[in-house]
Amino acid sequence: MASPFASGGIAVAGIGLRQYKRGQAPLPERGVLVRAICDACADAGLPTTEIDGFVSYGDDRNEPVRLMPDLGMRELCWSGAVWGGGGGGIAAAFGQAAAAIASGQATAVIVFRALVQSDSGRLSGAVMQHHLNDHLLGAGLVAPAQLCALRARRMFECHSVPLSTVEELVRVSYHHGARNPQATSYGHELDVEAYRSARWIAEPFRLYDCSRENDGAGALLLVSADRARDLRRKPVYLLGVAQGTARGWGDLLENDEDYASAGFRPVAERLWQQSGLKPEDIEVAQVYENFSAQGVASLIDHGFCTYENVAEFVRFDNLIAPSGKLPLNTAGGNFAEGFVHGIGLAVEAVRQLRGESSNPVPGAKTCLLAGGPGAPTVSSAIFGTEY
Amino acid sequence: MSSPGADLPYWTALAQGVLKLPRCGGCSRWQWPAVWRCGECSSWEQEWQQVEPRGTVYSWTRTCHPFASEDLPPPYVTLLVELPQAGKIRLLGLLDPAEAKPWIGAAVVGAPGATRIGGRDIPALRWRLDG
Repeated sequence: MASPFASGGIAVAGIGLRQYKRGQAPLPERGVLVRAICDACADAGLPTTEIDGFVSYGDDRNEPVRLMPDLGMRELCWSGAVWGGGGGGIAAAFGQAAAAIASGQATAVIVFRALVQSDSGRLSGAVMQHHLNDHLLGAGLVAPAQLCALRARRMFECHSVPLSTVEELVRVSYHHGARNPQATSYGHELDVEAYRSARWIAEPFRLYDCSRENDGAGALLLVSADRARDLRRKPVYLLGVAQGTARGWGDLLENDEDYASAGFRPVAERLWQQSGLKPEDIEVAQVYENFSAQGVASLIDHGFCTYENVAEFVRFDNLIAPSGKLPLNTAGGNFAEGFVHGIGLAVEAVRQLRGESSNPVPGAKTCLLAGGPGAPTVSSAIFGTEY
Repeated sequence: MSSPGADLPYWTALAQGVLKLPRCGGCSRWQWPAVWRCGECSSWEQEWQQVEPRGTVYSWTRTCHPFASEDLPPPYVTLLVELPQAGKIRLLGLLDPAEAKPWIGAAVVGAPGATRIGGRDIPALRWRLDG
């Protein structure tokens, strides 16, 4: 069977993102989500009544069937979610939507994530609830930051990754966020001294090494490429997607073999094989940074650099739009655009390839979306303007 | 918070002041997390062996943000400890005293105790730097 990716069979036809300060959404969670879905459909020029499928990830609480009345849907044909509590499944959600469309089980699938604190509580608490057990609790581990801190320390001390790399990565996100009117950090460059002297959260992480949460919802409409060409916007094609976990990685009580990594190596290998692309072919990247060190680990896992040359690659100048070799997190990323469990990164991938980013990379034809690093199940996808 | 699964003997032993870890009855592989069935040799026989709680620090973090309940105020240090005598299984636990300064590779010795968090006393290994 021909791959639907190789033939450019699946496309993103519409995007919607509503984002607010944490605790300040104007509507409860489902209301915000319906708005984002309506935005995505309006963007595409497709009536919401045509939606027939949904996929989410990260233990989203909005069961698709409950969205039907507000959207006027005729029939729900596909309703799926990626297993796992963290953001590791974000790219895999696009794989599920593609599978549904390519196999004819659905025709217009919304990939979404919604999060409003008054409904779902703090994201970090919800993610951790998924993993918590008495082994972690008895060691005082109750937040993702602490687990990622343990792994970050190994990366710094046992794999010789310089601390300068995480500072560069955070600066890049804030540089882009400062230039994105929709970003929480719009107009605010990162003060490097403030970064270096910020309070400790869980060593080696200080405050600005950590993503902070927003209320909001994001939705992306996926359809067949044939259908996308009849809609309003320039299609953005899904060129590949891989998800999963290799032996020796997973929910293993911190016994993962490649402990300092972000867990992507085998998944990224499959993505490159499947798409026929290489890291050098990626022109812009949206890489989920829950914490600074995990963002760097994700870049290493994907093959953009190695433990040996990471300091040459993860440099501010190398990662900013438009001139960097790999402009990264061009809307500001989770750190500086805002954090609705990473869905903003997927939206920015599409904006970038349409030429609508606040920090455009002119002529970019490929964009990587890397999901939540360090999660037991991780996923990555490649979007493109052509196939 | 979580009901015990294949690791129930771990909790039972720890509450009695002993560290026990599982080893496959078929292929002698140390297992962690605990399993019902060995995915390598298909054996359902898991033997719980008493293990001396000694190891080396594999990684550590000092928590400074008040994430946990009031029972466990920051700062406190969490260790991930590798046990060479048990197939390099890594176990988590708090370091006592909280102001101790650990390092990767440091020798530590553990004692079965408890950690009070969220209003519960959870059986847990409490580690100290060795020497």
